Amino acid sequence: MFRRPIKEINAEFPAEESYLDSIQQIVREACATSGMRRKHISAVLLAIEEGATNIIRHAYLYEKGTIRIRIVIYSKTILFSLFDTGRSFTPDSSGKLDLNKLVETGRRGGLGFYMVQKIMDSVEYISSAGFNELRMSRRIQSDPRKGPGFLRRMFSLRVKFSFWTLFIVSIIVIAVNYYENNVTVKQLYDHLDETASALTSTIAEQTAGFIINRRSDVEFDQLTYSFSRSNPFISLIVMTDTENNVLAHSLDETQIRKPYVPPFPVPSGPPGTVRAISSADKNLRYLMMPISQGTRKLGTVHVLFTTDLIDKHLEDARIRSIALTTALLLVGIIGIFLLTSYFVTPIVNITRRVRKFSSGEMEGELPLDGAEEFLEISRALNEMTTRLSNDRQNLIEKERLSKEIEVASQIQKTLLPNKLPHPGNLEVEAFYRAASMVGGDLYDMFEVSEGRYCMVVADVSGKGVPASLVMSMLRTVIQIHACNSETARETLLKVNDYLIDNIPPGMFITLLLAILDVATDKVKLVSAGHNPLLHYHNGTGQFSEINPPGMPLGVPVTLDRTFEESVQEIELELEPGDLILLYTDGITEATNHDGEQFGVKRLKALIHDHLQSSTERKIAELSRIIIEEVDGHAGFGRQDDDITFLMVRTAIETESNDSKVEESPSISVQIVDEDKPTETE
Amino acid sequence: MADNIKVSLSENKLAEGISEVRVDGVIDTLTAGDLAEVMESLIHRERYRIVIDLAGVDYISSAGWGIIISHIKEVRSQEGDIKLANMVPDVYEIFELLEFDNVLKVFGSVSDAASDFNGSNPVKKKD
Repeated sequence: MFRRPIKEINAEFPAEESYLDSIQQIVREACATSGMRRKHISAVLLAIEEGATNIIRHAYLYEKGTIRIRIVIYSKTILFSLFDTGRSFTPDSSGKLDLNKLVETGRRGGLGFYMVQKIMDSVEYISSAGFNELRMSRRIQSDPRKGPGFLRRMFSLRVKFSFWTLFIVSIIVIAVNYYENNVTVKQLYDHLDETASALTSTIAEQTAGFIINRRSDVEFDQLTYSFSRSNPFISLIVMTDTENNVLAHSLDETQIRKPYVPPFPVPSGPPGTVRAISSADKNLRYLMMPISQGTRKLGTVHVLFTTDLIDKHLEDARIRSIALTTALLLVGIIGIFLLTSYFVTPIVNITRRVRKFSSGEMEGELPLDGAEEFLEISRALNEMTTRLSNDRQNLIEKERLSKEIEVASQIQKTLLPNKLPHPGNLEVEAFYRAASMVGGDLYDMFEVSEGRYCMVVADVSGKGVPASLVMSMLRTVIQIHACNSETARETLLKVNDYLIDNIPPGMFITLLLAILDVATDKVKLVSAGHNPLLHYHNGTGQFSEINPPGMPLGVPVTLDRTFEESVQEIELELEPGDLILLYTDGITEATNHDGEQFGVKRLKALIHDHLQSSTERKIAELSRIIIEEVDGHAGFGRQDDDITFLMVRTAIETESNDSKVEESPSISVQIVDEDKPTETE
Repeated sequence: MADNIKVSLSENKLAEGISEVRVDGVIDTLTAGDLAEVMESLIHRERYRIVIDLAGVDYISSAGWGIIISHIKEVRSQEGDIKLANMVPDVYEIFELLEFDNVLKVFGSVSDAASDFNGSNPVKKKD
């Protein structure tokens, strides 16, 4: 319904009440440009203020945000759109707000929207894809209350189409009729003229004989009388002699022998041609023909005849033709209207669908009928709707899922120990970072019995939600069994017994479990296929990689020995200043762009350097350094696997400090050098 | 648009029991609070016969209309009313457009508005 816009204005403002003035200023200028009357402008300003206030208050709840305004001026309408990215609200657009209801309830809410609806000709609220649009249109002229709806319906596409078709058809029919009528008239007149000419020649011939034979006046009179009586279209026959004296007069015999005076001014022209005479009441035509015998001229015949008969005939024909045309047009109107409906209905349907679609309703397909062109549009629209609807579904699904994962991640975080025990004068440090939102790694440290601590690092195969769920279970299972077991080995066996029946097939867990006795500084270690424990000997500056035999948990026992048989416990003793590190392969297998792994050598070097360079340095800092180095190696933002480690360091005896520092340099070099094998136990 | 508003209240000047609220300026979101305060105080003191003189007001937003409309029911239930006087043409046109003329009476002067109270049955309240 809109034509090409004359002007478009876009502006953006902070969503604050102090900017309402600026918004109104822009609107006022736009309205003035469009030629809107002053009193209408102030109403529009009011509506815009209401819309903007609503956004500030309800969409943004007075928080930071922006209002974008778009004004499009058409020749007869202005379109105002207010956009925001805040909360969407559901305006009561189903029915117009009832003023009396507002008074009755004493509510103020909704008054603003009521005012907008009253002032604007149309108000729409569209909420999609993260922003909301309040779209309002106002006609530039006239009062909005005077039924624009009715007029618009009156001039709907269907009516317009019918009207124009009818108009064109009518013009064609009338033009054809007119032309046809003219042709007929001319033919009839020509025919009459010919008849009259022929008759006049006959009269002239007969009169010539009469003159030669010197007939009497009565005979002349009879001749004229008989001619005029037998030819009703002839109104006058006058015969004159060469002296222009009347020989016979069909209407007035007293004129005989008198000079002939024509009753009408005779138009000039050669004899024998028909000349039309303009007269007030009758359509007369005049014909004059010489009376002659060979070359001898004897006189003249004057004939006046009327076209009355023809005219009457033509009039009848015209009335019949008009009646017929009118009847045809009436039938035509109905036909055209039906035909138009047939053509327009698909458009109306499509428009209605698109409107529904824009208001967010995705259900319902367009019927695939009508002309091929509409069929194409309908099909395309259906397809578009379906696709968009699916996309939206997917998006919703995705959002839901990511929210779920976020929840899972939160839960998982709460499942990891939020506080580690610090038994005696041990330093304990742990780190965990999942590769995705939820991880499958686990670390834990808790007191099993007085002075005995259980330390665990585990890696559940796979990543994401399934791994994390198993991990959560695993932690609980270990805690339960560790407290009810005498040794690390017993714990592991019990855990395995439980897991065999309770972990999804195809999933397995590697695990390193150590029981540390604070009183003796002895560590009992079991492994279920996990990477070795790193033991840093503070006294020598060397590392031991301790790897007790044991199969991963959850691996089907197809080998010749059972899980129980595969597990062996190793005991180690910690010297003052020693450090043990339990970790998952997320550290050592972190790869850089060239596919090179971080490796255990680098890890050892880091630990060694850090512990050797200063005895004061806490292992908290060591933890930070390890993470930094691993991240630096893999590159920012690239983490393929969960990174987890747990380390414990025994207190350093002050008297042994010096000796260690002295010993360190030679070994340090040895370790850093990649080409030489690292000393391991 | 000026951000200022002046609301002045004179009680019993027009007639016994009638309060006249004279507003000057613009009644919009930012300024409506002042009018709201005066109205609340009148109703709190059970003065239900109110004439609002709008001679000096050239713009009223929904915040302003809301204050007036939201009190109609209460004052009428106490046999009082809110009557408007001296509306400027600009305001009146919007007033009409919004069909507020169906729920509020408008008078050419404050005295007309005040005498309309006497026309209705006079009430001696405890004020």
